[in-house]
Amino acid sequence: MNAPKTSKSGAWKSIWLRHETVLFAILILEWLYFNSVGPRFGSLDNSCDILRHSVEIGLLALVMTPIILTGGIDLSVGAMLGLCAILFGKLWRDAHVSVWIAGLATLGIGGFCGALNASLITLLRLPPLIVTLGTFSLFRGLAEATTQGVDTFTGFPNFFLALGQSELVGLPAQAPLFVAVAVGIWLLVHRTTFGRSWRAIGFAPEGARYAGISVERRVGMTYVLAGIIAGLAAVIYTARLGQAKADAGTGYELFAITAVVLGGTSIFGGVGSVHGTLLGVAAIAVLSNGLVHARQPREVAGMLIGALLLAALTVSVLAKQFAARSKIGHARHST
Amino acid sequence: MKTHFRELSVAAAFLLVLLAMACFAPSFYHAQPLLSLATRESPTLLIACGMALVIICRQIDISVGSQFAICSVCSGLLAAMHWPLVLVLFASLGLGLALGALNGLLVAGLRLPSIVVTLATMVTWREALRWKRQGEFVNLPDGAQWFGLHQVQGQLMMVAMALTVLVLLALTTKHVAAGRFVYAVGSDAEAARLAGIRPQLVTFSVFAFMGALTGLAALINAVQSPQVDPKSGTGLELKAIAAVVVGGVAISGGRGSLWGAFVGLLLLACVSPALTHLHLPPYWERALQGAIILLAVVADGLRARRERFA
Repeated sequence: MNAPKTSKSGAWKSIWLRHETVLFAILILEWLYFNSVGPRFGSLDNSCDILRHSVEIGLLALVMTPIILTGGIDLSVGAMLGLCAILFGKLWRDAHVSVWIAGLATLGIGGFCGALNASLITLLRLPPLIVTLGTFSLFRGLAEATTQGVDTFTGFPNFFLALGQSELVGLPAQAPLFVAVAVGIWLLVHRTTFGRSWRAIGFAPEGARYAGISVERRVGMTYVLAGIIAGLAAVIYTARLGQAKADAGTGYELFAITAVVLGGTSIFGGVGSVHGTLLGVAAIAVLSNGLVHARQPREVAGMLIGALLLAALTVSVLAKQFAARSKIGHARHST
Repeated sequence: MKTHFRELSVAAAFLLVLLAMACFAPSFYHAQPLLSLATRESPTLLIACGMALVIICRQIDISVGSQFAICSVCSGLLAAMHWPLVLVLFASLGLGLALGALNGLLVAGLRLPSIVVTLATMVTWREALRWKRQGEFVNLPDGAQWFGLHQVQGQLMMVAMALTVLVLLALTTKHVAAGRFVYAVGSDAEAARLAGIRPQLVTFSVFAFMGALTGLAALINAVQSPQVDPKSGTGLELKAIAAVVVGGVAISGGRGSLWGAFVGLLLLACVSPALTHLHLPPYWERALQGAIILLAVVADGLRARRERFA
């Protein structure tokens, strides 16, 4: 596994390497355990099922990573997904636009929603938590108002539903899209100056400004990106379920944030990785699917995810304190 | 005047809505529906008071909705076992206090970020409740609804309780040292520590207090209907945060007042009945509330910007 390229000391590097390694080990243990209790769990069919059901949350978690890296947060992605799904259905059914063009337009709508967040956060320097809390209400409310609370969009053509329900050489049809976005965002965060600058901004915004980074523009980009990908997730969601309702994606923002934090990204920004996020998504998806196969109630999965999140956080904070303490001890020794 | 400009401007907006209702929909001013509205919103007022303290202390608590549901169901079960209501009240307060104290322990003791801690406890408690109860409603015994009083008396008592808590807290945060500590820790924890305040203790107490208020609010909500809904309190955290923010409490801590949270809640709470009485489609409620939140923060942002450039 690749360690994230941080410009800090080796001790830091090893801690984050450790975080992701531990998460990976937990994931393998989960897999082995569920494989031994649920006879059908390890089958290829079920693996495809896990992948299919985690694509939308996975996409949201992927774009949440740069946002949290810069020290921000976006509570509105789930509501954005809902609004995009509704407008997508509206464009196709009432405006008689072809499905693919409607899909492209949905990406644009998502981008526009993201740009609203971005401009409020960067131009007026408002706290992201509050801005996206407001747009969370606004987007979900607009979706409810558009459908008058009852309207549901169904009856999409079969070739479109194939995007969410069929298989492509043994893999879910939406998997290639997910992989493409994942690789793209991984490259963006870990292999470009853009990614470096997000990390720098999260680590010290003022420092980044003095280093000549246009902080506002770079931060704004992360929210616009989140909007566009939320639009994509809305299209895939609609194709998978075959319907678009105003409550689409309720609570997804929390799953996405949980996956990102579980994956080792600091909620204060500056530290984290995209592959950590992917591991976080996988750990959550395997846990909730595996418990069903182990004939455990679904609610246990939610409880365990909450507990896992707290445990991961405690371990990483304690490790950080430990590292800081041993560093001080080291410095004392050398003087 | 200048110090309370933010609260007064929200109050002015609220009065404007009241005035509009007087002109276009006088039916809004019937006593019984208004009292029912106030009763429905009084648990939210209690939560918003606690949330204002948490946010002034530069923290956030998004687990209150789940705590609320747990306290509601537990107090319903205790009432169904024919415990006297006073004991149920103390049990609900104690349970809320314990849940809040757990958050406080994790945030203040281990110094974990409050948003992630309360996100985790929110999910955990909500799912634990669903697991144990499988979404079952709790039937309250005959004497429990409205505290065993006549409906109007019960409603008046609940509103009075919520308002009393509000006034006491508003006075405490303004005039009592313990209340000022919350502001001190929220504006600069390190400076507060140097001034002899123990920031971690203050933070812990604020979370525990928020939990106790949630317990009280849960009981007030539970006795309003003959059955306790295990899903009650969903989205309550966002409603409370929205009221607090609209009322001018700064999310960066140390600024704002309980009165602000109160007028913020009044403004947000009258959206839904206003839509009904003006014969507008009720589906716009969420969107309008979102717009009000954004308007409030944009106004804050513009003012801060003017001060920056001035």
